[in-house]
Amino acid sequence: METQMQTIYHVEGKLCRDFVGQISYTVCLEQAYEELDIEFTFGPRHFQPGEVTEELEQKLLTYCKKEYGVSPSTKEELEDALYHQMKTEIHTLAMLNDEFIGGIHRQLSTRHMHFTPQEATEGCIPQPSMEGVLKVIILAFSVLSDNTEYSLTVRARQ
Amino acid sequence: MYKRLELHNHTTESDAVFTCRELTDFMAADGVDAFALTDHNTISGHYKVREILEQTGIPISCIYGMEYTTYYGHILCLNLTEYVPWENINRHRPELLFQAAREKGALAGIAHPYSYGWPFAQGCRFEMAMTDYSCCDFIEIFNNPEPLHEVNEKGLLLWEKLVLEGWHLAATCGMDLHGNSSLHGHYSTYIQGDTGGDIAKELADAIHSQKTWVCKGPLLETKAENGCLCFHLHQTGKPGYEPLPEERYLVTLRWAFGERTCRLDERIPLSAFGTDTRVIPKLFEDEDILENLVCVSPVVSL
Repeated sequence: METQMQTIYHVEGKLCRDFVGQISYTVCLEQAYEELDIEFTFGPRHFQPGEVTEELEQKLLTYCKKEYGVSPSTKEELEDALYHQMKTEIHTLAMLNDEFIGGIHRQLSTRHMHFTPQEATEGCIPQPSMEGVLKVIILAFSVLSDNTEYSLTVRARQ
Repeated sequence: MYKRLELHNHTTESDAVFTCRELTDFMAADGVDAFALTDHNTISGHYKVREILEQTGIPISCIYGMEYTTYYGHILCLNLTEYVPWENINRHRPELLFQAAREKGALAGIAHPYSYGWPFAQGCRFEMAMTDYSCCDFIEIFNNPEPLHEVNEKGLLLWEKLVLEGWHLAATCGMDLHGNSSLHGHYSTYIQGDTGGDIAKELADAIHSQKTWVCKGPLLETKAENGCLCFHLHQTGKPGYEPLPEERYLVTLRWAFGERTCRLDERIPLSAFGTDTRVIPKLFEDEDILENLVCVSPVVSL
């Protein structure tokens, strides 16, 4: 009889504004698994109402003018930059026994890295056997707001 | 023979719309000789494209690579056979990652150095403090979709400056393909190779010897002969490019302490370059303005 996916690790946390870098979680797999799923979720991705201050708007305008020589020509363009283009961007990467097994670099606030011996999520490589030491790395490129929440769950099936 | 390469492409393995199979078909349909698979921070497409090429016999080669998409800049790695961790990237010592990739036999270069970064796309602009360019193999001087003057011109000028300072850097370009965008009217990278040749080796030889052409269709060949620099035009037949009569092309030559414009049929005495040993030839249509640039040729070493 096929066994169910079991949660073997779960963690939640909060990131502060402007954090750049990685957080890695190492999970010692106590047995060999036939299926593995790593779920990562974070939010919010975009500024919430009230978070965009005049000071931030001015910082954006000054930076874009100085660094790129561009300025939003309309209020709509500025709002598009502030509320859509600016985003919290976090990606994930997984290693098994120090070998790369997958990376998800897509603009998603919830993502899965799913592995079986035959198939894997795009960005990942099927694994004939999942045993040993799993390392999941959270790659924070940009965090817009304090208290940006994230959670990581590793599920596996024998 | 010349081989046309598309050196910067993404698939659904990262954030693009083409699957590996669709990208392979797309490139083959446009007559590309070899395309690079450079997804963001993953090599998961490598085995898929290998299988596609083995099973279908599509007449195209793949250059296996990855775009190291870091917090402070993007690094294109070509001929990458295994994943090299980048997560400990040090923006003040980027040379360490370039060296680590090269130790595994890869070619490492800077992608779109002047793309817009924060607040639009953190990491897209190369903001690392690179001081030793000897560990860098190439610079992507044209990232085709990017703005011509605000981004690509700066990339071209950076490469020219570094080359004239004496750094051995090849020039490349790429579509940075994420969707179904036409390749026509854009720059491709050309190298010399043989029919059925090993594309990984041919690319490595071309990059290491700086023999790459960044070109929209016509290739400018240069040769030092009888004390003069002379030119020859080779039309590649790149789809979407309409060749002009030869008299409508202009050549510019740039060296450390000078620059001049001439016709294709002129012969330039080597003495014109004084004691400078490196000359960058470029080909234009009608007028030597960036909008009319059609080929950046390999650096001439005198």
